[in-house]
Amino acid sequence: MAGIVVLTATIPLLFVIYSSMQLSASKWAGLWSSRLPELLGNTLSLAVVVAMLCLILAVPSAWLTARREFVGRKLAIWLLVLPLTIPTYVFAHIYTVLLEPNGWLGQIWQAIAGKGAVIDIYGLGGAASMLALATFSYVFLLSYTSLIDSRRSLEDAARIHGASKWQVFQRVTLPLMRPALAAGLIVVVLHALSDFGAVSMLRYQTFTLSIYLQMSGRFDYQAAAGLSLILVTMSLGFLVLERFFRRQQRYYAGAQTRFVARKQATAGETLMIWGWLGTVALFAFIIPLCWMLAWSYEALVQDLIDSKFWGYTFNTGLVSFTAATVGVMVALPIGLFHTRMRSWLSTTYVQLSSIGFVLPGPVVALGVIAFVIAVMPNLYGGFAVLIMALVVRFLPLAIQSQESALSQLTPSVEQAGRIHGAGPLENLRRVILPMIRNGMITAWVLVFIDVLKELPATLMLRPVGFDTLPIRIWIEASEEMLELAAPAALMLVLGTLPALWIMMRSHAVRR
Amino acid sequence: MKAKNMLALLVGAATLLVSSFSWAADELVIYSGRKDKFVEPVVEKFTEQTGIKVLLHSGKSTALLNKMQIEGARTQADLYLSNDAGNLQKGAEFGLFQPLAESLVKDIPAGLRGTDNSWVGLSARARVLVASKNAKDLDWAKSVFDLADPRLKGRLAITHSANESYIAGVTVYMESAGEAKTKQWLEGMKANVDGSVFNKHSKIVNAIATGQKDIGLVNHYYIYRHLAKDANAPIEIRLPDQDGMGVAWNVAGVAVSKHSKKQALAQKFIAFVVSEQGQKIFAEVNSEYPALPGVAAAAEVPAAGSYKVADVPMVKLGQKRDATIDLIEAVGMP
Repeated sequence: MAGIVVLTATIPLLFVIYSSMQLSASKWAGLWSSRLPELLGNTLSLAVVVAMLCLILAVPSAWLTARREFVGRKLAIWLLVLPLTIPTYVFAHIYTVLLEPNGWLGQIWQAIAGKGAVIDIYGLGGAASMLALATFSYVFLLSYTSLIDSRRSLEDAARIHGASKWQVFQRVTLPLMRPALAAGLIVVVLHALSDFGAVSMLRYQTFTLSIYLQMSGRFDYQAAAGLSLILVTMSLGFLVLERFFRRQQRYYAGAQTRFVARKQATAGETLMIWGWLGTVALFAFIIPLCWMLAWSYEALVQDLIDSKFWGYTFNTGLVSFTAATVGVMVALPIGLFHTRMRSWLSTTYVQLSSIGFVLPGPVVALGVIAFVIAVMPNLYGGFAVLIMALVVRFLPLAIQSQESALSQLTPSVEQAGRIHGAGPLENLRRVILPMIRNGMITAWVLVFIDVLKELPATLMLRPVGFDTLPIRIWIEASEEMLELAAPAALMLVLGTLPALWIMMRSHAVRR
Repeated sequence: MKAKNMLALLVGAATLLVSSFSWAADELVIYSGRKDKFVEPVVEKFTEQTGIKVLLHSGKSTALLNKMQIEGARTQADLYLSNDAGNLQKGAEFGLFQPLAESLVKDIPAGLRGTDNSWVGLSARARVLVASKNAKDLDWAKSVFDLADPRLKGRLAITHSANESYIAGVTVYMESAGEAKTKQWLEGMKANVDGSVFNKHSKIVNAIATGQKDIGLVNHYYIYRHLAKDANAPIEIRLPDQDGMGVAWNVAGVAVSKHSKKQALAQKFIAFVVSEQGQKIFAEVNSEYPALPGVAAAAEVPAAGSYKVADVPMVKLGQKRDATIDLIEAVGMP
């Protein structure tokens, strides 16, 4: 079952490999000489810096919100998760505009640092910051979930043995958080490796750029495929690294123990906590939101929001909902298989299904088109093909989110179910699924959000006449039609809220 | 769980339903690499006059060509529209287009059409210099090749080298001035910008208007777009190389897909868009030059025929494109 899913997920990879094989040796040499080493270096540095920034933003925030009770705690959690509703290219667009000398932030900075001073957002620093702001919520979410779900017994045991609070954090809490951190960081890194929109806007030239160059400059999807192969190898490298950090470890405690309680924060502490969380939220969500509201108001005033707009909204919702549902259903067999078996085969399955994520959208799209036209041409041009490509593209998200939940599943409960005579399917339905429900919901929401924002694959594969909000943003924003792009971006934020609410609620149910 | 089952069933049904939806048999589908906003006026007028509905499927020009290539006979495109002659010529070379009848396109100059009329140009854009009115020591910059002059270090604004207009421009220069000179020019510009390039032409014009840069290389209409928003901006157009090779042109055009099932309808669209009326609507919305001689461009742009244009047929933009990209990559332009 898992095998079939993985096979489908590898279609783009097979396409890439097949196309790469049609490249001659001289062309490979040509690829190497044209700035490839520089681009590789750029991409790797970007991935590393983004990962570090995300850790800095997410881990303290997760710990503060999971372990301290303070006024507005729930609000803070929301604010830290909401940045997920904003695509990376929108972040980049907004901040370049705001940091210009006559933008809101540019003017503030000039007041502080003197006339003529400009914060230069272009380059590695700016690109990394934008990507970090856009993706740290993944790390935050997964860390928060892990901290909330962790059991007291392990930490109590450490305290009994005389460990100080910091030592407990360092030697018990943090290692227990490792699967969540690893899963979150892998998502962040894969995003950084495959991002093009934000990164090119900020003029930091990564690997994905060279792939786009081949496809848009030379119509050479074979060369693009060759380069994609290298990108895939890079990401596999990261994935292997992640596995290495997680190998052989089981992260569950006994089922009888209590959860870690939250400590009440004093007034002073609350102030400091909000100082930190507030600053993060300000840059990651509040400023972009204000910009979107301001320009959407303009659009409203100019009467630009019409029935077509609501059509795009509906389309976007439909695609995201379907892709997320199918994606989660499809990821489950792989996740279960891996948690249970932990064999090289299951690990390979997981790695292979992560391919879709790092392949640039257009490459995935071309692969799926080629496959569908060759094998089931009647399906081509319809909705189903788009869903297929999106599921392939975002499968790793679903798998990673489910995995950290699955890895906390205790075997004894599962076995208990089997002992009592439940067949495998019933066991799945009545024992396993309820226990990992939170993980599945998180997975669904994360895929939903990413599909909501997806652009390049949708651009290539959407049925004719079926536009989504990101496509409209791309079309309008590229011509500086901010009044038209902002409402679409705002709609994305609003559209994601219910999904996020579902996910947050599932945590509140626990305690 | 029951709710979940229902949901899954509903989704499955919806997916099946939606995958079978398609457009009406008498609707034309255009794969368009040109922004909707600039195609809709002419499309609306066409539908108004003929009753034929048109669906615009927007995307990046080259991605759409790749898509058409892989789709083959199953393509849904009836027409392909692009802002770059290079793309159109490439599409013709891949055998994606149905040659148009000579009678249909004879009024468009031959230099603006594809070989055996596989595509036809609709409107032209000029590659010009935009200069700051306030900058000192800039009057000497009259040629595109002057942009390589070390006096412009840190003052030059160009796009990144993957931009299709940029590539088209370089192709024209290679054809007119030769590879060696163009290579020198690229290297000079590379030194002048020191890794810092713009990803959009509109940002170049902005930078010049706010004084961050002094001179840039853009398509002419960006200047007029900016002036339309801010008439007092201290920017001016400079038509380069008037005593030399002339200004480089590129042309936006359209082609009929070889596998379209609605050839007759598609040709009606072509007939409309090369007519005087269609030409005017198509070009004026973006201040471009209509390809049909005798149709005037917008009042504020320098009139066609009032300045020297480089004598390079548009098909060269496609034929020589790979060589251009090779050169750009060899120099290592950012």
